[in-house]
Amino acid sequence: MQRDGSDSALEIIQEFANIGAGNAATALASLLDMELVNEVTSCKLLTLAEVSAWLGGEEQVVAGTYTQLCGDLRSGVLVVFPQESAEALVTHLSKEKTDLSQLSALQKSALCEAGNICLCWYLVAVSRMIETDLIPAPPGAAVDLLGAVLDIPLAALAASVDQVIAVHTIFRGVERTFEGYFLLLPEKDMLQTIMDRMGEPPG
Amino acid sequence: MMNARLIGIAQYGVAEAPETLCCLGLGSCVAVFLHDPVAKKGGVVHVLLPKSPKGHPPDAKYADTGIRLLLEKLVSCGADRNRLQAKLVGGAKMFSDLSLRMSDIGRENVVQSRKTLAELGIRIVAQEIEGTKGRSAYYSTEDGSITVKTAFSNDRRI
Repeated sequence: MQRDGSDSALEIIQEFANIGAGNAATALASLLDMELVNEVTSCKLLTLAEVSAWLGGEEQVVAGTYTQLCGDLRSGVLVVFPQESAEALVTHLSKEKTDLSQLSALQKSALCEAGNICLCWYLVAVSRMIETDLIPAPPGAAVDLLGAVLDIPLAALAASVDQVIAVHTIFRGVERTFEGYFLLLPEKDMLQTIMDRMGEPPG
Repeated sequence: MMNARLIGIAQYGVAEAPETLCCLGLGSCVAVFLHDPVAKKGGVVHVLLPKSPKGHPPDAKYADTGIRLLLEKLVSCGADRNRLQAKLVGGAKMFSDLSLRMSDIGRENVVQSRKTLAELGIRIVAQEIEGTKGRSAYYSTEDGSITVKTAFSNDRRI
């Protein structure tokens, strides 16, 4: 993981995200009938303007599914598929050739639902780990420029902060070319809870 | 287009001919461009949210204070505020099925930008706003034109 200084807090976040992403990748792998592996989570404190560049650039076309936790703990969670992987995913699910620029209603719904399954499995795993109910809002899906997909997740955080912690876990197909990533954008209270529940007891 | 200077979220910047400025991947964000056609100078602010909280220092993150910051900077760089023309790009609704308070923030950004420009007496001469598609905007200080690109449709020039 990329570390800013020697902060063990980031290691805790990394562990947290790894477990969420691991569970989600298992679900996605069974949906796709292929083997997936997760890469090590990276975690970085970024200004609002830096987030999309860190993820590879504003203008790449992606399929993103986003939800926001709306209970006591607030966080945005996204799963993002680059264009080719999103097309492979929808082709697999709908059994018809897919072009992201002209998705049918059914294909768009399949994409959103696949994203939703990933997000729910991610949240189920981390919710158990911190023994806290995490309540996601109904998800939204968009197929568009990455920068545009990130606006709402960033706007949801930015009312109170100028920098966000972005927690990023890539997954890849083992035998076939397939990839995507999870992005967690936790608010301060969420971070504190993760630290409190997962950190070493003081002393 | 390759040499355009990027103005990211919550940033603003000014330039003079022949430089090009760009804001990439505008979703619910709004890019407010101000252009002085005689001096061939102008700038853009890339706003994320409509209104700054009370007592918050001026910040390019918000439409209300960001537009004012951009105006001050432009005037200090020699643009004439009476000649300034505004163009708006962005303010889309990216997640149409998301029912959060945030999901209409694009429209709110547009409404606040218009309001602030009206208060400042700056005319809006063109716009490419709302809808459901993300946009990239490239602004030429030479002629004030803005080329708007989207993921799957043809470029437009406003």
